[in-house]
Formats: sequence, C-alpha cells, structure tokens
Amino acid sequence: MTARALAAWLGKRALGAVLTIVLASVLIYGALRLVPGDPVLALTAGRRLTPDQIEAVRHRYGLDQGFVRGYLSWAGDALRLDLGTSLNYQTGVSTLISGRLGVSGLLIAYSAVLAVLFGSVVALVSAVRGGLADRAATVLASVTTATPPFVAAIVLLSVFSVGLGWFPATGAGTGLADRLWHLTLPAVAMATATFGVLARVGNAAFAEELRREHVEVARSRGVGGAAVVRRHVVRNALAPLLTVIGLLVAGLFVATAIVETAFGLDGVGSLLVSSVSRRDFPVVQGVGLVAVVLFVAVNTLTDLALPFIDPRVTVGGLGR
Amino acid sequence: MLDDKPAGEEATTRRDALDVARLGLTLGAGDGAVPLLADVTLRVGRGETVGLVGESGSGKSLTARAALGMVPRGARATGRVTVSGVDVLAAGRRALRDLRRTRASMVFQDPRASINPVRRVGDYLTEGLRARGTPAGAAAERARELLGQVGIADPAGAMRRFPHQFSGGMLQRVMIAGALSTEPELLLADEPTTALDVTTQAEVVALLKEMQRARGTGMLFVTHDLDLAAAICDRVYVMYAGRIVEEAPGRALFTAPAHPYTRALLEASPSAHGDRVAIKAVAGRPRALAESPSGCSFRDRCPLADDRCAEAVPAHRTHRASAVACLRPELVSP
Repeated sequence: MTARALAAWLGKRALGAVLTIVLASVLIYGALRLVPGDPVLALTAGRRLTPDQIEAVRHRYGLDQGFVRGYLSWAGDALRLDLGTSLNYQTGVSTLISGRLGVSGLLIAYSAVLAVLFGSVVALVSAVRGGLADRAATVLASVTTATPPFVAAIVLLSVFSVGLGWFPATGAGTGLADRLWHLTLPAVAMATATFGVLARVGNAAFAEELRREHVEVARSRGVGGAAVVRRHVVRNALAPLLTVIGLLVAGLFVATAIVETAFGLDGVGSLLVSSVSRRDFPVVQGVGLVAVVLFVAVNTLTDLALPFIDPRVTVGGLGR
Repeated sequence: MLDDKPAGEEATTRRDALDVARLGLTLGAGDGAVPLLADVTLRVGRGETVGLVGESGSGKSLTARAALGMVPRGARATGRVTVSGVDVLAAGRRALRDLRRTRASMVFQDPRASINPVRRVGDYLTEGLRARGTPAGAAAERARELLGQVGIADPAGAMRRFPHQFSGGMLQRVMIAGALSTEPELLLADEPTTALDVTTQAEVVALLKEMQRARGTGMLFVTHDLDLAAAICDRVYVMYAGRIVEEAPGRALFTAPAHPYTRALLEASPSAHGDRVAIKAVAGRPRALAESPSGCSFRDRCPLADDRCAEAVPAHRTHRASAVACLRPELVSP
C-alpha cells in the first residue's frame, strides 16, 4: 500500500469516528431539552437556587439560546474538556470523572484480560477436542452468558468474600498488588457474561476454520497437529474474533455501573449510578460522552488492526 | 533434498510408488454402515502417470486420499495401501506424518481454498520442508528455485505476496511447487485443473507432466475428464460407484473402450474434431456404492444389461488391452 492510500484510509476512519461522536453528543445534549417541563428544573432537580444561579445554569447549558447555538457552545466547552459543574458535588465534572477513571480503567482492563484469556482458551480447546469437552464448554458458556453482572456479583460476594473470606467485599485498595486483589471479584463479575459470549463465538469461529480445506491440506503435508492449529486455525480466526472482542470490551464500560456499585468501588460507573439517582444531569451527560468516546476509540482501534491481521482486508480498497 | 529421507529404504528396490490392493472403505458399522469403496485395486509405478477417472461420488478422491492415510472420520478401511513400501493403513500417526513429509504429496482441486489466505505464499511453499526440519534458509532457497521451475516470474517477490494477489492458474502452479518441494515419489493430483479456466487448464496439465517426467515421480491423476486422462496418462482406471470397472492404457481406452460405462463417458464428452453430433449424456444419474444395485453397479443405467448382470459383481477379465469388469465387453468394442 502506498503512503497516500494509507493516509486517505486513516482519514476516512477518523472522520467516521468523529461523526459518530458528534451524533452521539447531539443526542446527549438533546436529552436535556427532551425533559418534560423546564430543563432548568431537571438540571437543578428541586434544589433551591437563587435567580442568579438559575440564570447561570441557563447560560451554561445554552438554554437562553436556540438548540443549535446552545449545542455548539456546550460542545465547544466539552472540547476544552470543560463538562460543566456537578450540581451535587459543586466540582467540575471533568475532575470528577478523571479522578475515577483510574479505578474504572483498571477494572475494565482486568476483566477484559480475564474474559479474553479464558474465553479463547475454552473456545479453542472445545473446538479442537470436540465431543465431551465441546458439550461441557457449551453448557458453561450458556450458563455464564445468561448470568448478568449483578447476579455474578452477589454470588461471588457471598462465596469468596463473605463465605471463604479470600477477597475483600468493598473498596479499591492502594498500591497495584492490593488494588488488583480488591478488583479481582468485580473483574470476574464483569467478565462472566463476556467470557460466555466469547467462548461461544470463539468456538464457532475456530470450528469453522478447522473445517477449512487449507487445514486438511496442511495435515496432508505432514504438518503436526499443534502447528496446524496455531498456523492455520488460530491465526485465521483472529480477524473475526478481534471484531467481537472489540465490541465486547467496549461494552464492559456499561457493566461498570452495576459492578462498581455492588462492590462499593468509587469509579466512573458508580458515579453514573449515584448521579442518575440524584438527578445530577451534568455528570450524567459527561459520563455518557466519555463512554461514547471510549466505545468509538476501541472500535476504531480494532478496525485499524484488521488489515494487519487479514491481508484480504484491503486498506480503503486500495491495498492491492 | 532427497538425502533427508530415512536410510535403509533403498535396499528394497523398485517398489511401486503406489500399490492399492482390494481397498474397501465403510462408513459406520452394523446396520447403518455405508460402503464407500469396494475392492479397489490399482498401481502407480515409479515415473508412471496413471489416471483415475469417474463421475462425482464414484470414490476417486477417496481412493487418492487413502494413499495419504486420509480416511474420513468414522470410516473403516480394509485391504492394503502401500506407498513406496510403506503400509499406509497400518501406519501410526508418526509414520503417517513422515510419509506425508517425504514420500507422497497431493495437489488439490481448488488452490484458492487449499492455500491459507492469511499467510504468505513463501510460508506455504516452505511449510512441508520446515515440517521435517529443513532450516528456514535452505527451505526458502528451495522454494524460490521451484517457483522459477513452475514458471512464476520474480520468485523472490512472489514468496512475499499473499494468495489473493495471484490468479487461479498461478496459484495452482504455487501449489504444484509446494507439493514437489519435498521431492515425493508419489504425486497425487486430485482434479488439479477443475477449478481453472480452459486455457489455464492446458498449461497446468503440461506443467504437471513436465515436472513429473523430469523427476521420475509417480503420478495419480484424478479427474472426471476421460479425454484428458486418456491423452496424458500411461494407464487409466475408470471408477464407477466405488469400484474400478476398467483399466486400460490411455490410448486403448480412447479407441476401444471395453466397459459400457467407459463408452458412455466417451460419448458424453463433446469432440473438438470430426462431425458435430449431439452429446449423449449418460442415462440416469451417477450412483454411490451404497445405493447401487446388486451385481454390476452399472446395470440399471446400462443399455446392454440383462438378468445375468444382477447375479454377482463381474470379475475383471481381459478384453483386448483392457482389464474390464463386464460380462460382455465384446458387445462394447468387438
């Protein structure tokens, strides 16, 4: 591929990502205007404010202007990482979120690693072995897929924290080792359903590649069993799996809301839950925006990786 | 490259490249058992080109695959398959792997499906050699050499490209080079030209013949094209419903087919020469062994069949240049 084609392709991807974010931000901003009654009442949620403060809020959210101008000034502030002020904490929303992003980020990464690692191993072993291993994996995948994070959280808490006392029930800990120890149960709770989906999808992907003719051809050439699996099955299933993994990992962000609340973790997810219940609209908007940006970022990164994994995926159709 | 074959084998000289004796293949067991092949006996001498011809479902690919010990899952094989002295059906996994790495290779029908699309062509070419422990550098050197021999321009560049960057014909050349990389004594070509367009077919067949002749490799050429087989093969076996029904030298088969099925096949193929006549399709549809009638499998489609054909599977008899499994070959070619 030429440098120009690569640049054009990258530009196209970036444009797509930006458009998605813009569209989502319009919806997030518009939600405020869709609230029945005076948006200011929704924003202030019954708190007693002086007329000056109300005017400030009105101005801050562009409610004294039309929708387009209001959106533009709100989005302009957001671009400068100014997401407004929390009505509840009276601090900047950006500060609130960035202070909690560390815990949530680590939690998402931890559970992503767990889900991807165990999901792919179970998928591969069940696809290659077949028979009893395959059936056992199918049952395991069905059960875990059907287990929502809050159920997993309750079970894990009662067994490993309350019952066996191996892991702490609340808090995020200090220092990396302690933090990982604290985050283990929440990460497992979040990873459970993702693991199940991945074990299933991965099993199907590996089984499909195993049936391919080039796999039989490799065997006909006396290539060893492990090498066939590594070179012709895993390598080929990587591209379809990566797309699914990207979506699932991005989806983990949503699960933090429930799991962080259940385990008493002070992260972005629990911030979202408490802000919703306190009708802290600026925070909800801010978290929503961050979630969209992260989701788009993860998916764009997986898209960018695809041509390097599967040479048939050409860069912007100009790859040849 | 020949020197990394196990020593001590050359003592038993002049073995056939492939010797199949009374090969039978049955899927499943008990009442539900489905017979796939029965009594298949064929031989490919060293340096000989032997054709195996039949309609789809006749069992020709199964027979070729059995030579590599590739028996369908759940199938039971009887009889004996020997590839340059190695008993394939009795071989363990290790011995089978050695056989595939050193003595026999296969060129498959569809190069697009047979070569891993996400790996580079060089990777495919060296895989066979690397599997038996040839160092990467030597294997790559050998692969470049072979690419040149099969007529690929810029072998070094081709090694770095991916399969989708080649045309079907070029990719089939790559597969031939890959199959020959291990210097096998037996080359199994399973419909190697069926997936290619007509002009490319001729080139690929010519290349296969040339490479085979130059190396003295025995070749089993599996095809549904009787004309092609008769033209390029020293001997041809015709298969119908899991059995060999006729064996004859290539030319003789063309001029004097002894089995009604062989004649029907010849009449079914359009001729590029002579008068234009209507193509006569073989009446009825091809049978698999499991659904074929008692006695001669072909009798329900055969214009010459009578009650005697139902009694038993006809034994092979000599008629002119053919060994034919028919009771009345003199009615087919007097």
